[in-house]
Amino acid sequence: MGHTSLEKIIALQKKTPHIRNLCILAHVDHGKTTLADCLVASNGIISSRLAGKLRYLDSREDEQIRGITMKSSAISLHYTTGNEYLINLIDSPGHVDFSSEVSTAVRLCDGAIVVVDAVEGVCPQTQVVLRQAWLENIRPVLVINKIDRLIVELKLTSQEAYTHLQKILEQVNAVTGSLFTSKVLEERAEKDAEAQSSCTENGSGDQVYDWSAGLEETDDSDLYFSPDRGNVVFASAIDGWGFSIHQFAEMYSQKMGIRSSVLLKTLWGDFYLNAKAKKIMKGAQSKGKKPLFVQLVLDNIWSMYDAVVTRRDKEKVEKMVTSLGLKVMSRDLRHSDPKVLLSAICSQWLPVSQAVLSMVCEKLPSPAEISAERVEKLMSVGARRFDSLPEQTQELKKAFLDCSADETAPVIVFVSKMFAVDSKALPQNKQRPLTQEEIAQRREQARQRHAERQAANQRLWAFLELLDSCSHHCFNCKRGDIPIENESSVTEALSVKTAVEEDNKEHFVAFARVYSGVLRKGQKVFVLGPKYDPSLALRALPEGCSAADVLPSVPHMACCTVDSLYLLMGRELEELDEVPTGNVLGIGGMEEFILKSATISTSPSCPPFTPLNFEATPIVRVAVEPKHPSEMPKLVRGMRLLNQADPCAEVFAKIEISASKPIIPFRETVIRPPKVDMVNEDMGKQQKVAVIHQVKEEQTKYPEGVQVDSTGLVTLTTPNKMATVGVRAIPLPEEVTRLLEDNVELIRTMEQFSLFVWEDKTLDINQKILENIQEFKVKLESNLQGRKWRGAVERIWAFGPRRCGPNILLNSVEGYRRPSVWQCLEREKETEKAEIRDFDNSIASGFQLATLSGPMCEELLMGVCFSVETWDMKLSAPLAQQDSIDEDSRAAEPNIDNQNESSDTHETNTSSASSNRSRSGAEAAGSSVDCYGPFSGQLIAAMKEACRYAFQAKPQRLMAAMYTCEIMATAEVLGRVYAVLSKREGRVLQEEMKEGTDMFIIKAVLPVAESFGFADEIRKRTSGLASPQLVFSHWEVISSDPFWVPTTEEEYLHFGEKADSSNQALKYMNAVRRRKGLYVEEKIVEHAEKQRTLSKNK
Amino acid sequence: MSIFTPTNQIRLTNVAVVRMKKAGKRFEIACYKNKVMSWRSGAEKDLDEVLQTHTVFVNVSKGQVAKRDDLSSAFGTEDLTEACTQILAKGELQVSDRERQSQLEHMFRDIATIVAEKCVNPETKRPYTVILIERAMKDIHFSVKANKSTKQQALEVIKQLQQSIQIQRAHMRLRFVLPARDGKRLKEKLRPLIKTVENEDFTEQLEMLMVFPVLQVCLIDPGCFRDIDELIRCETKGKGTLEVLSLKDVEEGDEKLE
Repeated sequence: MGHTSLEKIIALQKKTPHIRNLCILAHVDHGKTTLADCLVASNGIISSRLAGKLRYLDSREDEQIRGITMKSSAISLHYTTGNEYLINLIDSPGHVDFSSEVSTAVRLCDGAIVVVDAVEGVCPQTQVVLRQAWLENIRPVLVINKIDRLIVELKLTSQEAYTHLQKILEQVNAVTGSLFTSKVLEERAEKDAEAQSSCTENGSGDQVYDWSAGLEETDDSDLYFSPDRGNVVFASAIDGWGFSIHQFAEMYSQKMGIRSSVLLKTLWGDFYLNAKAKKIMKGAQSKGKKPLFVQLVLDNIWSMYDAVVTRRDKEKVEKMVTSLGLKVMSRDLRHSDPKVLLSAICSQWLPVSQAVLSMVCEKLPSPAEISAERVEKLMSVGARRFDSLPEQTQELKKAFLDCSADETAPVIVFVSKMFAVDSKALPQNKQRPLTQEEIAQRREQARQRHAERQAANQRLWAFLELLDSCSHHCFNCKRGDIPIENESSVTEALSVKTAVEEDNKEHFVAFARVYSGVLRKGQKVFVLGPKYDPSLALRALPEGCSAADVLPSVPHMACCTVDSLYLLMGRELEELDEVPTGNVLGIGGMEEFILKSATISTSPSCPPFTPLNFEATPIVRVAVEPKHPSEMPKLVRGMRLLNQADPCAEVFAKIEISASKPIIPFRETVIRPPKVDMVNEDMGKQQKVAVIHQVKEEQTKYPEGVQVDSTGLVTLTTPNKMATVGVRAIPLPEEVTRLLEDNVELIRTMEQFSLFVWEDKTLDINQKILENIQEFKVKLESNLQGRKWRGAVERIWAFGPRRCGPNILLNSVEGYRRPSVWQCLEREKETEKAEIRDFDNSIASGFQLATLSGPMCEELLMGVCFSVETWDMKLSAPLAQQDSIDEDSRAAEPNIDNQNESSDTHETNTSSASSNRSRSGAEAAGSSVDCYGPFSGQLIAAMKEACRYAFQAKPQRLMAAMYTCEIMATAEVLGRVYAVLSKREGRVLQEEMKEGTDMFIIKAVLPVAESFGFADEIRKRTSGLASPQLVFSHWEVISSDPFWVPTTEEEYLHFGEKADSSNQALKYMNAVRRRKGLYVEEKIVEHAEKQRTLSKNK
Repeated sequence: MSIFTPTNQIRLTNVAVVRMKKAGKRFEIACYKNKVMSWRSGAEKDLDEVLQTHTVFVNVSKGQVAKRDDLSSAFGTEDLTEACTQILAKGELQVSDRERQSQLEHMFRDIATIVAEKCVNPETKRPYTVILIERAMKDIHFSVKANKSTKQQALEVIKQLQQSIQIQRAHMRLRFVLPARDGKRLKEKLRPLIKTVENEDFTEQLEMLMVFPVLQVCLIDPGCFRDIDELIRCETKGKGTLEVLSLKDVEEGDEKLE
């Protein structure tokens, strides 16, 4: 078969019913790419001699070296059986780490070839791909590959091989069956729920209970794989042969005179040929006869292998060849490697491409046959039901179903990923033949440039690869391993990249499929981002507008011109002018508009397609920073490229981690920004400090000036002896803490409001927020009950840290009424004018500082209430006098006072009307500045210290951020999952079996500090059968006391002297302190006697 | 007459000597290396892990033991252990290599932490990581001085780092309310101290005392705070006010790269 010309393909593209979009899916090393090779060879693109060895679609260097596929790639093939078909084939990677590629490939296809290794059978990834195909509603066909291994390696007899193949088929069908049952059960559950709700609505007394699970009613037989259905092919791609039962049925019907339809039914299954009666009888197994399949099919192949490979019986081979009517070149016959001869014979006798492609053309749907169900699923985003979409959008469904290549049909294209292409590979940049002189002229330049570019390219690719592999393999590296080790190369590569960027730019090509209409070069289209909402846009845009018009900007929508269209031919790209519906294509020049996936349409009412079903969600966050901070911008650019190229990498810019934007927490979605320190990825970083309820005897050392009474009231005086504050720390109930955490936004609004009130401005808060605040207050009150908390909610002074955290400052000073934080609620009511003392702000600031860094490891506090019990100002003479005057003036002139309050600040302790007084005040303040700094500063420091000591007077605990972790695992690996969990201090909450499958769902909590490498470890230990999902859930108090030491004899015996082996809290605390460079109480040398006594040099 | 042979000589190896002069006499004790600092910081609680022997010497290397009389006159007790603890607490010693190393390491990290807390990347207003700062500090060959406070050294480091990387102290956000009378004049004086003025507001508020405040929100370098404070207080005679809106003007949170 000759090379199919481009024109031919273009012509074929227009015949939608004769297009097949399919992808090859399988577990790693089950022979996807080899199979693809055979199919490619059938089109004459590569030599059939090389098929299976070349791995044509593994176009990247590293793919060739490692022998695995990493990126999916597409190729268009041409196939003729009576009709001419265009087959858009996508080869996908099988490795778990690249499962995102599979997701993108599956989305673009209508059918899938699932390849299963005849020896290994169903593997984890096979299950995954079957599930994916199921979720995307695409129809699979099965290829059982590597049958030659059964003969050559396992040395099975044909009878054994038959039972083996049967088993594999059963396994595959079991997976499909479980997918089916779980779906039915789900639907059933939904129906039940609906029925129940309707029942309650009706209030009808007589309910009918239906026990049937619904399984019987739903027909599932067409889902299963069975050779007699023609959706199974047995193949050995490496030797180039493959067959479906059809072929043999036809062959034997001619030979034996049995009707092919009969043969078709009986060739697979428990039938045998009764030679005497010339009948096909049932029950081969029970009678010990050879099943028909063995007798007619497998035995032939076995004898062929026996003759060619095992015994090398030349005469027999020749006999076979002639009887089959094949022509084998004498070169092949004489070849010393029997495999060559074998494939020469087989590829003529039973060409795999023929078997597979005919099956594909018959069994898989064409783009025109897209099911309505799938369309609805594609079009409805997230939780939105299809019916809720705007009408115009619903109309588009018809366009989908029609799949017409009309001029009038709206263009709908889905881009599933962006991939990088070297600009040299683009057709428009391809080398054209040059004249002799030009060649000579350029040769010199080229020679120089070539060397440079070669080096640059290699490094650049190495870098992109590295980032890529980071993204996939980041589990196995401890923090810093990949990013830092390779940083030099990263930055180097990047710098090289900038240097050569001018003449060698990376191009991103969108990997896309046309669902409706014809996409033309130069056409104006809308590019719709994944978050685009058609109903919003339809309102914003005029009726019947097109992308060519000047339009108001709508979020997540852009207009652009289609630059160039490509036909994807493996590593080659062929330029096209237009692509009709149902084809897979590459679109160039979209990198500015499309980030990762998008929908392209001429109609603004088109909804964005549902996000891809990623089998692997981003799990691990990895921080990357450049070796030299000055090279940050280059890193940013690298990150951008990666973000665009890998659908699974999500790049976040993160505080702390980096100076500028790039932080890439690969594969991990975090649902809320973690606390300040949280992200640093080595261990033990997310502890906060909290008080819990027991009272502990032990007193820590307090410096002078701090008095602690037995109830934990701490009184502290400022260095200049002018003010004394008494503070007590009280733990907040857990619910309150959670409530405060959840309502940060509200608290912030309240804070803003009171700030504005201080300035005599008003901030308008809308009614809804006011209601929310009210509700929040009521909830707080209901949670803070008991004698201890009487009136506490009204007395709240401030929240902290940062004015909105989960800690409370309580005003319990007798005789001091200050405006409450709930001011905004009482705006209408004319409350009695509550006064604010001077330095009120200082106390609050002190509290903020104290809550910002706790004494244990300088982390944020959480769930602590500081109650200010006493606050005395023993001011020195001038200041006191001044203060009292100030008080007077306040009483006298409330109006001015108002303004003064607004300017109640750190520094100016007074700002009364009379300049006289203020001068004295300034002097007083000045005098205090001399020795101890400004007074307000002193008060802040005193308050902060008081809070810290009050805190220390109570038993302290660390709080650890916890992930909830959902693990899906099969029963056999359950034990290993548990082992990994318990090793990492995880706790299992519940374990249940998923209905209709043998999968267990385990819910567990796990400290974030222990989570690094968790996903990877679990996958390794369970050989990929369990995959965890980590989501931040809550903060949890670690029950052990970090300061605990054994006191009794028994404890001493059990834990040893230091008890450091068991104390998780201490371990975390010390790790954090060590990281921050704080003092850690540990000995430099553990045992004095065991030191090396020699000097360093010896 | 005893025969002086090596066998009946107890050799002390691995010795750190702690000396103290008291009552005109020199006392020494023999301790293990790398242990005295731990004792002083309270990490080591077992005295036997620190002291080689509970004997007070006049000279450790010569093996001369202190006299009882001297001990009691100097320490007020004849209890050797008591004397040893006193010498341990107050005596002078040669800090051993590992002690020094760990101390410097601690200080280095501490400095880096302080710098990371105080500084941001001026372009993005995001803080640097501690690790990055540490690396940058190593790049400029910063050496820790054991006798200076870490904060002091951190401020020095920031200045030095500015030459190699883009780093800047996080700005403080302040608000002034200046009386209109002095406003113009003050503004000129404040200008060199202020980095950026975010918001200026010459609203005339009709108050009883006809004070026309000038509201100004601006960013300043934290180092200038004292100066500004001083200036405003003296110049406006207590009428101008100054409020710290935030100590650090820093970007936080996730930002998704697009």
